[in-house]
Amino acid sequence: MNTFVAVLLGALTVYLAYTGYARRVDRKIIQPDPNRATPAKLYMDGVDFIPTNRNILYGYHFKSIAAAGPIVGAIVAATLWGWLPALIWLILGVSFMGWASDYSAIVLSVRNEGNSLSAVAHRLIAPRTRIILFVFIFFYLLLIVGAFVGIMAAVMNGAPQAPFGIIMLTAMGVLLGQMLYRWRAGLVGATLLTVGVTLVAILLGPQVQGIFTSLNGAINALTGGQPVVTYFDPTAAGFKGADTKIMPSFVFWALAILAFCYAGSVLPIWRFAQPVVYVGFWITALSMVLGLVGAALAPWVKPAVAQFTIPAFKGWNPPLGPSGLMPLWPMLFVTIACGAISGWHALFGSVGTARQIENETDMLPVGGGSMLTEFLLGLLALLAVSVGSKGAPVAAFATGLGGFISVFGLDIRYATSLAFVAFIVIVLVVTQLIFRVMRVTLTEWLGEAIPPLRSQQVSSLLSIVLALLLVLTGTWIYLWQLFGGANQLMAALALLLVTVWLVSVGKSWYYAGLPMIFMYVTTMAANLVTAYNLYVNVFTPNIAAGRPLPVIGAGLMVLVALLLVVAAAFIGYDGWRAFARYQRQPARAPRPAPARG
Amino acid sequence: MAGEDRPTRLGKLRSTFKDIVYGMASHEMARSALRTRASMEHLFILITMGDLLGVPILPPYYSLRLLPYVTPQISSWKRRMLRERDITDVLG
Repeated sequence: MNTFVAVLLGALTVYLAYTGYARRVDRKIIQPDPNRATPAKLYMDGVDFIPTNRNILYGYHFKSIAAAGPIVGAIVAATLWGWLPALIWLILGVSFMGWASDYSAIVLSVRNEGNSLSAVAHRLIAPRTRIILFVFIFFYLLLIVGAFVGIMAAVMNGAPQAPFGIIMLTAMGVLLGQMLYRWRAGLVGATLLTVGVTLVAILLGPQVQGIFTSLNGAINALTGGQPVVTYFDPTAAGFKGADTKIMPSFVFWALAILAFCYAGSVLPIWRFAQPVVYVGFWITALSMVLGLVGAALAPWVKPAVAQFTIPAFKGWNPPLGPSGLMPLWPMLFVTIACGAISGWHALFGSVGTARQIENETDMLPVGGGSMLTEFLLGLLALLAVSVGSKGAPVAAFATGLGGFISVFGLDIRYATSLAFVAFIVIVLVVTQLIFRVMRVTLTEWLGEAIPPLRSQQVSSLLSIVLALLLVLTGTWIYLWQLFGGANQLMAALALLLVTVWLVSVGKSWYYAGLPMIFMYVTTMAANLVTAYNLYVNVFTPNIAAGRPLPVIGAGLMVLVALLLVVAAAFIGYDGWRAFARYQRQPARAPRPAPARG
Repeated sequence: MAGEDRPTRLGKLRSTFKDIVYGMASHEMARSALRTRASMEHLFILITMGDLLGVPILPPYYSLRLLPYVTPQISSWKRRMLRERDITDVLG
């Protein structure tokens, strides 16, 4: 297998899924009506509800859903099971489920007055479903930040060529905010300056990496080279399991990332979060476009980076730790999340994108089109890890992507540095947004009962402490799979809502219902397997070794896994009852409001 | 005719590309700026016209003097103030 064939396969998947299946469902089942007024027109307030051009919305939706999921998931899955199962799941997942989930969540919201998924659940299923969904979403967000902060800290600690670029990117982001909003500088000039300086800094990364190696050494010397935490990690020593040490430098970088997220959570959005994200966008867009085109050209221009070097298939149940389970079903389907199907997309699509849909005929190109594009991002990550099989998964990804970028003549060292930074930026952007959401969630939920939580500082710090606890005490791969389980379960719940809605309005529900059943059963099973793995592979050995912190972390993760399963079981039960109720007697559909006249 | 069509198609393609890049790079920033402005404006209207929602803050005399200036925004303000929200709205 080479990269060109894989890119061709990806392009073919996108074409067939969109024209052969998605359009058919859109035309036959949803039947978009260009004359029906969308919530953006009906409730236009110039802010949340605002009719927006479909091309703009496509770019907006894609950028908002593209995070670490498609990249890290593909990397981990290829490492565990080989590239073939990962490729098959990416293709089948996005073709039959992924686009349907994104698109349907937008349709559901557009046809229900722009309401969020939880508001629709409240109306269509039961009031308690909404409350359970909130609990589910909070812990889901906690798992996302835990998994993302953990992997970013590992990269910053282990790849000394990356931090300089990230630090400069942050500084340039702050400068851009100042230039645009205080000094009233022009966007094009400010963009050229800040993005240009950031790019130069990233390319200088390999030249100044000695500084960061020394810094890490100095930080580690503070404890005399002793670890802050030692825990038994079943993924260490080639997945045989061994003691792993968390060094002070890792904690330093985790704290630095959390400080970044704290700033993103409490500072005015124009001052920090938005301009940093804006500068980061150009860096990641450049890396991904160059990477994808480079992958397609590599067999002719640079054959050395075009051949897959990892095994196609490593087994149905690869050993992981002394007594853990890692069966391909259900674990592959939660390890690769966003490139195939994702609950985050549905969540975001229903509140962010749906309220800006100008015309019902835009729902498919925006929702389905963005998801299919994100599949290409997942495919790129899979290609990168499949050809660059040196080192830890993220390092392999950066080496692979760097190889693709080097097709254009850039030295591989600089190209790899660019790939590392692009990876961190993608993850960082979503993480700081989620901390903001967690802060608001804590304030809304517990602010009445615990007044200090009304303070944005306190609620932000509490979110950060919870995330840090997961990062320091858990085993990353399980944390990732738990996040994947929660994410995919969120997608299943979104599809459940869509299914109930389709039945309630008397439409065919199979295109959403069948993927929902598969994802619901698979993710419930995956969460139980992860809870079992955590118990036998992390909790038990660490309790035997008398290490309280890893025991608390693993115990917390087991509890979260079980909580998610119970919450999903309740929602599933309520959803089934609503489904049966509407099958007996469909709800009367509200009369559509005309767009004009 | 074919010669006239080509630039139009190219122009369309360029405009589509520009829109997509704008959507990815700047749309969120633009929305964020709009949201900040709207929040300030709506706070102002709440203080001055709060009695429209049953929250009398300013004596009606002053409210009436300000009424002509805020009239165009009242309907969107009411819609936004009275709309049911939940925590997931923060994501949008």
